[in-house]
Amino acid sequence: MALTITCPVCGKRNGYEFRYGGEDKGPRPVEEGMTPRSWCDYVHMNACVAGVQKEWWCHKNGCGAWFTIHRNTLTNLEVEGVEVTS
Amino acid sequence: MTRIERRSPVQFKGRIKKWEVRDNWTVALAYEDEGQGPFLVDLSHITRWDLQDKSLSRFNQPPGKEVPELPGSCRLQDGVLVTRMNRTQAVIWHLLSGAPDLPAESGYTDVSDATICLALFGPNALAVAEKLCALDFLDPGKQVPFLLQGPFSHVPCQLVLMERGRGFDGGLLLTCSRGYAESMVHAILGAGAEFGLKPAGKERFTDWLGTAFPAQDTSSRKGKPA
Repeated sequence: MALTITCPVCGKRNGYEFRYGGEDKGPRPVEEGMTPRSWCDYVHMNACVAGVQKEWWCHKNGCGAWFTIHRNTLTNLEVEGVEVTS
Repeated sequence: MTRIERRSPVQFKGRIKKWEVRDNWTVALAYEDEGQGPFLVDLSHITRWDLQDKSLSRFNQPPGKEVPELPGSCRLQDGVLVTRMNRTQAVIWHLLSGAPDLPAESGYTDVSDATICLALFGPNALAVAEKLCALDFLDPGKQVPFLLQGPFSHVPCQLVLMERGRGFDGGLLLTCSRGYAESMVHAILGAGAEFGLKPAGKERFTDWLGTAFPAQDTSSRKGKPA
């Protein structure tokens, strides 16, 4: 795996130092009017984009920060900068 | 009367020449046949604090020991190393002296007994480190001392590069979870065998720190007595 990820704290590092945290699905949906099905969809259903997607990663072997990156799933390369969230 | 004894999980095979009891730790001050370097010193007895808060700037550290602004940067004053880890966390290591009492504020945690601390320094010390980890200790864009957080011998560690000398000479401090002590020491001594790496005592570390950072008063023993 040639993936490198840019941690907002530590900089560009080997992808093996990170834990994948799933696709970024936006903010948690409002609970009012939520059905079990819509909640299940939010938790379990993924877009599985063939292209650039926004996703969560944790630098588990480093600083422990959670952050999002944009990654091209076809080339397995990071394509943009990162946003600090923790 | 109950006698408290604190034990380092790091055990070196060398014969201890000189030792003392400090803050209930038995500290090896010197080993027989320490060689000419590089050296590996067990610093697990030094007091290490973790400081964690949404706003680290609200904690009043003594002058010269304020938490640095940028993650990865360090500040060394009077033998106290203050390192910024990320936006909300910093570590404070009392390298030379006994520490004062832990501040009452809830942001502080004493993590001395949860982790090990090792110093690897001397000729070719960074060559030993490069055999065990892919992190860039020789990055010219960083000024020593600085912190790297990442795998060292596949173990998540905090690594503070203290000195860079000619070639691969230099020195670093590393901490990791206590449970990795035996494996970590085995790996480092194995990697350093070709360079003549040997275990050394605390006095060797104190001398080195005094040479690397002449402004540090390495003769002082400030803080809580042993």
